[in-house]
Amino acid sequence: MIDQKTQMKIYAHCIVDHSQAIDNDIEGMGGTPIYNIPYRDIGIVVSHIDKQTKDVPKEWVLKHEEITEKLMENFNVLPMRFLTVFNNEKDILGMMKDYHNDFRMNLDRLRNKVEFGLKIIWSAEEMRRRIINEVDKVDDLASLKDNSLAKSFMKEKIEKYKVDKVLEKEAERYIVVIDNIFNKLSVEKKLQKLTTENLLLNASYLVEKEKQKDFKEAFERAKNTPGDLKYLFSGPWPPYNFIVLTKKPDIFTPLEILKTMGNTSF
Amino acid sequence: MEGVITKSKDVTLLEILDRVLDKGVVISGDIVISLADVDLIYVGLKVLVSSVETMERLRGEPFAGAQEEPT
Repeated sequence: MIDQKTQMKIYAHCIVDHSQAIDNDIEGMGGTPIYNIPYRDIGIVVSHIDKQTKDVPKEWVLKHEEITEKLMENFNVLPMRFLTVFNNEKDILGMMKDYHNDFRMNLDRLRNKVEFGLKIIWSAEEMRRRIINEVDKVDDLASLKDNSLAKSFMKEKIEKYKVDKVLEKEAERYIVVIDNIFNKLSVEKKLQKLTTENLLLNASYLVEKEKQKDFKEAFERAKNTPGDLKYLFSGPWPPYNFIVLTKKPDIFTPLEILKTMGNTSF
Repeated sequence: MEGVITKSKDVTLLEILDRVLDKGVVISGDIVISLADVDLIYVGLKVLVSSVETMERLRGEPFAGAQEEPT
């Protein structure tokens, strides 16, 4: 008789602050029910997938999120990164032992909190146009009579530098105004400025569950911020952006691989 | 996503991808399996905002005005 467990791999969905069996009818990635593997005072919710699984469809992305959100209704959760898969329960328990302190700390810190996302898009091109108009008015190099190639080149470089600086300051000015609306309603935040030229702000806010309504109302106010800005507001999410692990994954870097091969000259 | 305010399912998928691919509990699992069209997905992430902007242009309406009330 074929042992079915040897034909399966284990897909890890999330860490939960719960060390008992989970009574549910949630279907996991491979179509079998999810279940909880307890370790001390916490657990890891998993499901079985076929051992032959090599590529997975994009629908799994939605399913990963959907399952985590269902669990979030009843438990404090730490969502796993998509496609975290193990060979067997023994390996999972080894991992749980290694990371238990980290998981415990994060579960305590993120208890009853959710994440909201805010992306703000502006037209960098339009901003540049406006800034160039302003810079031209005050540019002392604009009066240069000498049109030598070198001077033109320098002038162009200096103007671009000035425009970039003003653009960055303008971005900071907007972000301060908008963040001021959300800051007092959140317990932690991550702000990324201009990750691309048009993405003025990519922000994640960690919010107490009981303040969700206030946070959504704040967004309605933020939309009235003067300026031609486009907003993408999303949430509540599991706290993907706020999990902090002190233990680093056991992934060898190329340098470490070389060292294990006896090459210590690095 | 529960309570999601964004209207477009595509935007929701991009927002999910923005989180699940390299955030959350990131540990080394035992197995490396891949998402079909994984290169496309990762490239898609790098141009996430471009995609969002493109979708917005195609719809011809701003996100702020396109939102639905949370359910």
